[in-house]
Amino acid sequence: MQQFLANLKNECFKLSKRKKYLVLLIIGSAICVASALRIVIANYITGGGVSRQAVLGGLTSSNLLFFLMIFLPLMAIMASCDLFVGEQGDHTIRFSLMRPVGKGKLFFSKAVAVFLLCVVDLAVMFLVSALTQVVLGGGTGGILSSLGACLLDLIPLAVLILFFCLINQLVKGPSLTVLLCVVLYVAFIALGTYMPAIGGLLFTGYLRWHNLWIGVTLPFHSLLSRIGLLAGYGLVFGCGGFLLFERKEG
Amino acid sequence: METVLNLDHMSKLYSNGRGARNITFSVQRGEVVGLLGPNGSGKTTIMKSITGLCQPTAGRITVFGADAVTQREQALAKVGALIEQPALFENLTAQDHLRMAARYYPQVDQARVDKVLEIVGLSQYKKERCGKFSLGMKQRMGLALALISEPELMILDEPTNGLDIEATVEIREIIIRLAKEKGVTFLVASHLASEIEKMCSKVLVLHEGEMLSFDTKEEALRLNPSLEDYFLAKVRDKKGSVVL
Repeated sequence: MQQFLANLKNECFKLSKRKKYLVLLIIGSAICVASALRIVIANYITGGGVSRQAVLGGLTSSNLLFFLMIFLPLMAIMASCDLFVGEQGDHTIRFSLMRPVGKGKLFFSKAVAVFLLCVVDLAVMFLVSALTQVVLGGGTGGILSSLGACLLDLIPLAVLILFFCLINQLVKGPSLTVLLCVVLYVAFIALGTYMPAIGGLLFTGYLRWHNLWIGVTLPFHSLLSRIGLLAGYGLVFGCGGFLLFERKEG
Repeated sequence: METVLNLDHMSKLYSNGRGARNITFSVQRGEVVGLLGPNGSGKTTIMKSITGLCQPTAGRITVFGADAVTQREQALAKVGALIEQPALFENLTAQDHLRMAARYYPQVDQARVDKVLEIVGLSQYKKERCGKFSLGMKQRMGLALALISEPELMILDEPTNGLDIEATVEIREIIIRLAKEKGVTFLVASHLASEIEKMCSKVLVLHEGEMLSFDTKEEALRLNPSLEDYFLAKVRDKKGSVVL
């Protein structure tokens, strides 16, 4: 466990030293504020008939869609490519490969580091959204349920990250890997949107699965099958990614 | 004497047919063993196999009694390695690298980080990004990363590559001193016979992926004026036996 934590700290440190993640986080937060201002300005232009509390009440939950479907997957793709295929490309992966740490610990600590980056980003953008909502007079309505939704949506996000980690083991070039991750992600989303029957079987169909818990609550046995489906995807992606990672040479 | 490293009929062949074939040798504690061979003779392949960067296709490698493939963590716990170019992140400083490496070893503290920087002569550059380092400085940094854990076995692939004469002598002296004073075992690869001759107690000759001989330096120099002649004699013997 000590070696796993040592490597996890190193992976997090490497990510923290890359300025692009900070810049992206600032851009994401700015988009959250801008979306709130857009609502306020639109309300003002149209005469301001509706109260601010009514128009801004669901700001955090509406921003959640942007975080979960666009921003965090993009972050996860970039971070996983930096930690896997990027390091393999410039041989910096040898830095950790030549240390007394198992390859399984290496693989999963990298995946956890990407997950932690997404958690931090989600937390920051949630806070910015919530603060913007309160400061602009939208009240505190919906913030607690949005917090619950964020926590619930971390589970499918973890599965998505393991999927990107698996893709990183399949191809060599960083650009090709990023492209493949984006194309597959968009394709799965599109497939789920236009063919709902298949969408229910795809892991990307559950990126906003908080709707199943917080919105129209499904019976528990129905939720259980979905939990099982996500766990299955997670196992396949995690084990597949690790097996391929173990076979790679430094 | 304690066997630190043992290769038992180890082979690692790449898809292009190159690599190393049927390598068998043992290294005892405190020895400085030189791998001598031209480019493409399998020196780096052997070192990569020992450090787990690639997996042998046949045979077995044990480091301090632990299998290098199935018991990676135990095998690499007392090993420091520098193979090919040092693995450095361009956006991180020398100090960042050493602190990151130190996390894998509970006994390594900031004092050790500072000491290692001093040993390799990079103390004044510790806050500079490695991306701005010259080739020689990167090589010194690679050596610092190998030294950080106070390893009992050091695996160095062309350690003086890119260094000037002064630095080359310095590195050589560090190797000899650590072997003598602290009993550190070294496996050093070089394509320069003179380099091996100056610091190694044993020499292993490699040619086209095959191990031609493994002798003490005294034995090698008994019938040959230099290691260069010893190497050429072994290669000639091999070619002669192929012709016959």
